[in-house]
Amino acid sequence: MTAYLAHFLVMVAIYSILALSLNLLIGFSGIFSLAHAAIYGIGAYASALAALKLGVGFWGGMAIAAAVGALASALVAIPSLRVAGDYYVVASFGLQVVMLAVFMNWTDLTNGHAGLPGIPRPNLLGWSIDQPFEYVFLAGFFALLTWAICRRLTDSAFGRVLQAIRDDEIAAQAMGKNVVLVKIVVACISSALGATAGSLYAHYITYINPSSFALHESIFIATLVILGGSERLTGPVIGAFVLLAIPEALKFLAIPDAVAAPMRQIIYGALLVLFMLVRPEGILGRARARPR
Amino acid sequence: MDLLLQLAATGLVVGSLYALCALGWGLIYGTTLHFHVAHGAVFTLAAYYAYVAQKLLALPLVVAIAVAIIAAALSGILIDLLVYQPLERRGALRTTLFIASLGLLTLIENLLAVVFTPDPLRMDIGWLSGPVQLGPVFLTRLHLVSVATAAAGYFALMAFLKHTRWGQAIRAVSSSPDMARTVGIDLRRAHLLTYAVGSAITAPAGILIAMDVGVEPYRGTTFVLLASVAVIMGGIGSIPGAMLGALFLALLENLGVWKIPSEWQSTISFGVFLVFIVLRPRGIFGRKIQSAEI
Amino acid sequence: MTAGATAAAPIMALQGVARSFGGIRAVDDCSFEVQPGLITGLIGPNGAGKTTVFNLITGFLSAEHGSIQFQGRELLGLPPHEVERLGVVRTFQHLRLWGKMTVLENVLLGCRTPAGESVLSLFLRPGAVRAEEARAHSRAMEVLEIFGLAARAREFAEDLAYPEQKLLSMARIFATDAPVLLLDEPTSGLDGESLQRIMPIVRRLVDHGKTVLLIEHNMDLISELADQVVFLHQGRVLAAGGPAKITRDPALTEIYFGA
Repeated sequence: MTAYLAHFLVMVAIYSILALSLNLLIGFSGIFSLAHAAIYGIGAYASALAALKLGVGFWGGMAIAAAVGALASALVAIPSLRVAGDYYVVASFGLQVVMLAVFMNWTDLTNGHAGLPGIPRPNLLGWSIDQPFEYVFLAGFFALLTWAICRRLTDSAFGRVLQAIRDDEIAAQAMGKNVVLVKIVVACISSALGATAGSLYAHYITYINPSSFALHESIFIATLVILGGSERLTGPVIGAFVLLAIPEALKFLAIPDAVAAPMRQIIYGALLVLFMLVRPEGILGRARARPR
Repeated sequence: MDLLLQLAATGLVVGSLYALCALGWGLIYGTTLHFHVAHGAVFTLAAYYAYVAQKLLALPLVVAIAVAIIAAALSGILIDLLVYQPLERRGALRTTLFIASLGLLTLIENLLAVVFTPDPLRMDIGWLSGPVQLGPVFLTRLHLVSVATAAAGYFALMAFLKHTRWGQAIRAVSSSPDMARTVGIDLRRAHLLTYAVGSAITAPAGILIAMDVGVEPYRGTTFVLLASVAVIMGGIGSIPGAMLGALFLALLENLGVWKIPSEWQSTISFGVFLVFIVLRPRGIFGRKIQSAEI
Repeated sequence: MTAGATAAAPIMALQGVARSFGGIRAVDDCSFEVQPGLITGLIGPNGAGKTTVFNLITGFLSAEHGSIQFQGRELLGLPPHEVERLGVVRTFQHLRLWGKMTVLENVLLGCRTPAGESVLSLFLRPGAVRAEEARAHSRAMEVLEIFGLAARAREFAEDLAYPEQKLLSMARIFATDAPVLLLDEPTSGLDGESLQRIMPIVRRLVDHGKTVLLIEHNMDLISELADQVVFLHQGRVLAAGGPAKITRDPALTEIYFGA
């Protein structure tokens, strides 16, 4: 039972990182990305391949993951954000589709459907982290770090600019803010952080395959962000907690596996629609940001 | 050479389906500025409506298709009426509306998967499955019908927009909602009409592909993505642009198979899209991207 | 309280600027100069192209012909944020305040906070960021004092009364220290009492060394406020000169009221 609880907490921590980083885009900048699962996957594969093919340890792998994630995001963000937000949505949709194709079809690199097994556990100065509760601390540490980074970004002049862009981009331009550049920077930071979640995941489960990084996963992460509330930082964490509890609840109802997956998606879809109609700011969010 | 012709023909057939999607999505986006990804759900629903009409209500194929198109148009109207218009009344951000649309798409697709199972369902298409040979090219009668439908749909839509009062109202709203309001056009009704027409013109695409390879719940997502790419490349607000963008995309994907393995088709489309928005963001025929009302 | 045109060089000069929409020439061979340290009024009937001129100067629209010189630099072709950096700021007819942010935050966004807005500095130079933020805060409060909004600093901008919102839209551009302020109808929608409050504030902007170009419909206000007037009609400059001369010209008055 405790091993099960530890696993649950690790996943909450990992999804908190994903939700916090996506929230920088959706909640604070008003830009929607459908590619966060692809970024998650890029981080996982980059880190795993660095370990398996280059012998790079977990810490190096995570740094590589962040860099590759940021780069992939920049490739998409730079051409599309120059134009308009809707172009970024389509471009992110495209990135998601393309990365899944890469994970599934570039078999020389990624082993395709079969996935990559045998990813090594992290190593802290000679001490291998493989007990479930040890991993809870590791993942928890990174979740806290991500939270702190996001906090620093949003609770500052930079955060003010983000909110100004979200609420009235034209006024922001007139007041001298380079809106396109700021959006690109936020997109890259968001992806760097999201990719680190992928690295954590890869070295925890020690096996990754493409099916974990498909579009439905992007929608799940977006649901976490929206449910938890996008205006406050604790929101995504609460969202992660709640939404990860749902599949467990479904298990108790003895719903057959084949139906369980679409059932979960129905719940997420319904939650998205409901929250937009009733409470777009989420469970914890307020209708307005608190004054800083 | 024969292979190339075959690929081009397939490209034309697939392009016809993309075109019907792009025309519908583009009309809606150009007029309402809603990023209506749930259009993919309407596309999918049309196929299921046709299936239910034929298999469960035992209607003849042509009647089933007609019923399905009408039902799809109603579905589009309901989505605007029940979800988008309430959101707009509350002054929702564009992103909020997009998220709701995404939620609808997810909800509807998966509901269909639970009710009908995710496996493809077969419809009876009778003589339409018969083969047709045009020189070295092999197609089915259904494929020819698809191309004809896209052509007919395009010309019908153009005629509707140019020559009918309702069509002109939609064009007015599309070019400037404020102007349209001042001349007395009811924006809410114009939106509903746009959703009806946009959904009705895309519905045949969903039905035709279902008749060809089976009724499936998740196809709409890919099609709506491709439709939005086609519309952006062709130019937002341009009906001919949407048509050209769709055909171009389909030909690119299918001819690309000649040299590049088919699993990379999506990468080709996406890569071309990125190049396009760098070089010519307004697309082939798009109006110059104006600043918002300042 | 008057100023004939001084012999100083103009701080901004438009030359042959043109821009069409569809077939309509919104701005057509528009040329005029703005003298430093004065209030110049841009007037004309509705649809004359006044806001379009503002959009062209500040980079929100591109021009098809012409040039806009500012302190020796060409403004046409620059994006809005660069025009602001060079020293030209504007308000909007529809205000465009950040309603869900506080009055103080609206003004803070006008203050110079390059360290706080740089991600690298945020993490690598926290001390400098902190000092800069403190300076920005005091500067912002000073500006709010000047505009009489200090008491409302912590309220949300959308909760302010309309006249105060108009003051806020001026306050935030004032905080940028830009030498040229473009005010788009600063007094529209205001009643007599609020007008009396705002007018001296607009006048005092010049005392702070600013150059003001303002779009205004109220002819009485123009006579009182403006040192120079430019009359625009159908996108062209019909006349430029002292307010008395222009507001009393019968031909111009007919165009203004007749259009």
